[in-house]
Amino acid sequence: MQSNGSSVLESSETRIKNRAGKYLTFQLAREEYGIGVLHVREIMALQPITAVPQTPADVKGVINLRGRVIPVTDLRIKFGLPETQHTPRTSIVVVQLDNDAVQVGVIVDEVSEVVNLQQADIQDTPDFGRDISVPYLLGMAKVKGTVKILLDINRVLDASELKTIKTLLEEQEITI
Amino acid sequence: MLNTSLVMSSLEQRLESIAMETMLADPAGEGCAGRWSAELMKFSEQAEGGGLSGLAKLAREASERIGGVAATAPEGEYGSLISIELLKLQQALAAVPASVAAPSSASGSIAQDRELISDFVLEAKEHLAAIEGLLLTIDKDEHDVEAVHSVFRSFHSIKGLAGFLELHAVGAVAHEVETVLGEARELRLSITPAVIDVVLASVDYLQRWIVQLESDPLGVPPAALLDNASLVSRIQHLLSPGTEPGAKHAAEHQAELVISAQPPPAAEVEHVVSTAKQGQGKSVKIDTAKLDYLVDMIGEMVIAQSVVRHDRVMVRTQSQQLTRKLAQMSSVTAEIQRTVMSMRMVPIGPLFQKMARLVRDLTRKIGKNAEFYPFGEEVELDRNIVEELADPLMHMIRNSVDHGLETPAERVAAGKNPVGRIELRACHAAGQILIEVSDDGRGLNRTKIFNKAVANGLIVPTANLTDSECFQLIFRPGFSTAEQVSDVSGRGVGMDVVNKHLQKLRGNVEIQSTLGQGATFSLKLPLTMAIIDGLVVGIGSERYVIPIFAIKEMMRPVEGMVSTVEGRAEVVMIRDNILPLVRLHERFGIKPRSVKPEESVLVVTEANGRPFCLMVDELLGKQEVVIKSLGDRFRNISGIAGAAILGDGRVGLIVDVKGVFAA
Repeated sequence: MQSNGSSVLESSETRIKNRAGKYLTFQLAREEYGIGVLHVREIMALQPITAVPQTPADVKGVINLRGRVIPVTDLRIKFGLPETQHTPRTSIVVVQLDNDAVQVGVIVDEVSEVVNLQQADIQDTPDFGRDISVPYLLGMAKVKGTVKILLDINRVLDASELKTIKTLLEEQEITI
Repeated sequence: MLNTSLVMSSLEQRLESIAMETMLADPAGEGCAGRWSAELMKFSEQAEGGGLSGLAKLAREASERIGGVAATAPEGEYGSLISIELLKLQQALAAVPASVAAPSSASGSIAQDRELISDFVLEAKEHLAAIEGLLLTIDKDEHDVEAVHSVFRSFHSIKGLAGFLELHAVGAVAHEVETVLGEARELRLSITPAVIDVVLASVDYLQRWIVQLESDPLGVPPAALLDNASLVSRIQHLLSPGTEPGAKHAAEHQAELVISAQPPPAAEVEHVVSTAKQGQGKSVKIDTAKLDYLVDMIGEMVIAQSVVRHDRVMVRTQSQQLTRKLAQMSSVTAEIQRTVMSMRMVPIGPLFQKMARLVRDLTRKIGKNAEFYPFGEEVELDRNIVEELADPLMHMIRNSVDHGLETPAERVAAGKNPVGRIELRACHAAGQILIEVSDDGRGLNRTKIFNKAVANGLIVPTANLTDSECFQLIFRPGFSTAEQVSDVSGRGVGMDVVNKHLQKLRGNVEIQSTLGQGATFSLKLPLTMAIIDGLVVGIGSERYVIPIFAIKEMMRPVEGMVSTVEGRAEVVMIRDNILPLVRLHERFGIKPRSVKPEESVLVVTEANGRPFCLMVDELLGKQEVVIKSLGDRFRNISGIAGAAILGDGRVGLIVDVKGVFAA
């Protein structure tokens, strides 16, 4: 038990230490999110997705990425945001997870830019209350007057611990 | 400096050869215990020498366990213990971290020598493979003079090359065999099974050399390898007159031989030529990752081409020349695609040949009589699967020969042909590769297996099992450990090992057996990477691929053919047969173009031998597809076997017909 606790502590410390760096930012329902650029393999226009039966709603299906079949997740649905019509700007961001051999595509409203964040730009995620843990948030960054939510994409796509971000933000009345 | 990777691969080889030997010899035979435990001690010493002390310790313990158990345990327990210990060691060896195994820089060696030796290794391997195949041909038909010539030539080549590289021990054996074959060629010696035994033993000896040279081209081979005196004397013994039991047959056969030797029957020559061709194919080793990449890229190219072809400008063009040029390009691309697809598949034939050898050696060793019949040798499998398959197949064949087949006397008493029949067949079946090992021996004894499972606490006495569930028990670990099952005419030795291997391949095994008439073990392997012919069907906006071999027929029903049963299940009446109907759109939750059967297409297929109909919107065409795994995220979706890239670059899901019906 003890060793378990300390290892969690360590990993969260390293996580915080390593937060500075380049992030790819994108929009979801007019909110700005960022994921570490090292996880991003490529960005592609939305393409026809083959639905796979018996999968969660956020899993839109699979696509052909140069001969490989990869799953695609709609982040709006994953975060409990309302689904919208896809626009020409809707993109698939292909990410590489640490513990997964396969790459995964995530659908976002619009890819914004790559920003270079310093340690000072990044704040810890506000405390959402005792009962709620938000393990998939790395922190919040303020860039040119807007707040960007930094995601730990590994945990976002690890379905088990997900709680809708929308509810969390509403509960805490955080304005972005 | 010791090169760890060399040590590793040499250890691997050693372990493999021990495993092979335990397969061939009866592991529980008398006096063998000391031998295996000594082999493992040697293994341990070598591992220690290579700095792999953990592995050495494991091997030492295994050796002690075997030594200890052999003295006290009943035979059955001991036989499977060896299998298990060997498997453990193999796993331990595989788990040695890559960093340890990384080759340290090679010592200053003469590169040229290495190259020459590796050339020799390649060439000798081809020769030895060809020889083994030819010997088995000769074993069936000793008058196949053309085959004798071929074997003679191959040994001659090996001798020449070995002499050049100063591999005297190799040269000496090859020379002696060549002399014997020379006599046979001149019809002064008839090729009896005893002669073939010795020649095969020589092939094995040379193969051990090749393995040694491959793992350590410049190292000093172990003394055991250098010592070929007993083998050479065995070979020479064949020629010393009087003492050789086969010699007196020589005269009898001579006249016959001369006649058949003059014009060799055309069919046989063809066979020999084709075998020789197989053996002589030149090859290059390629990283499979590169191959996979190539396959993917070719797929992209085909798709890009189809995009060009369907471009609006292209469609409207009046230029016949342009159309023709494009067509030519298409045919080239298609050819490239076909070739690349076939590159990572290998026929299962060579593996079957190994099994033929195993059956021969085993039956001779234990005094049974069996013919081996391979079918479907041309079936192509992914390379990795073929490699992984060797071990479980060996165990099953051994099991069939050892425990399945009766002795000739018993067979005659049971009114059977004294010569047993072992069949090995491979085919594609319902999206998987099916490999069957059947024998016409005594079959599995359901009652005894059941009782034994109860006695071992695997099931409760009241358990209600079907035959196949009951037979499945023999694959459970711990089933065969208490006493040898063959003594009570059940089966089971080493079967849990088979199961372990198959789990690794994500395959499964089923048994059909009739008491007194034989047993069939059916292995079903996933065809990761295998290519299938698929029927592309459309449902709503989605497309699915149904494996062609699962399809019996396709039809558009007329009104009244489909009726409901109890308002729920639907059936179709086709030529007086009533088949259940499965609406694929309902199974997969898709909005179809039409829910009326008259506006849809029915695909008649089957699951577990029972035919049924799948309803789809339309047929879109036939396509050869590479099966891609959907990955861990979608592992347990019933009714979906995998995915494939369709002609336009989109992904189509492959329907698992059995799963759809079961859902």
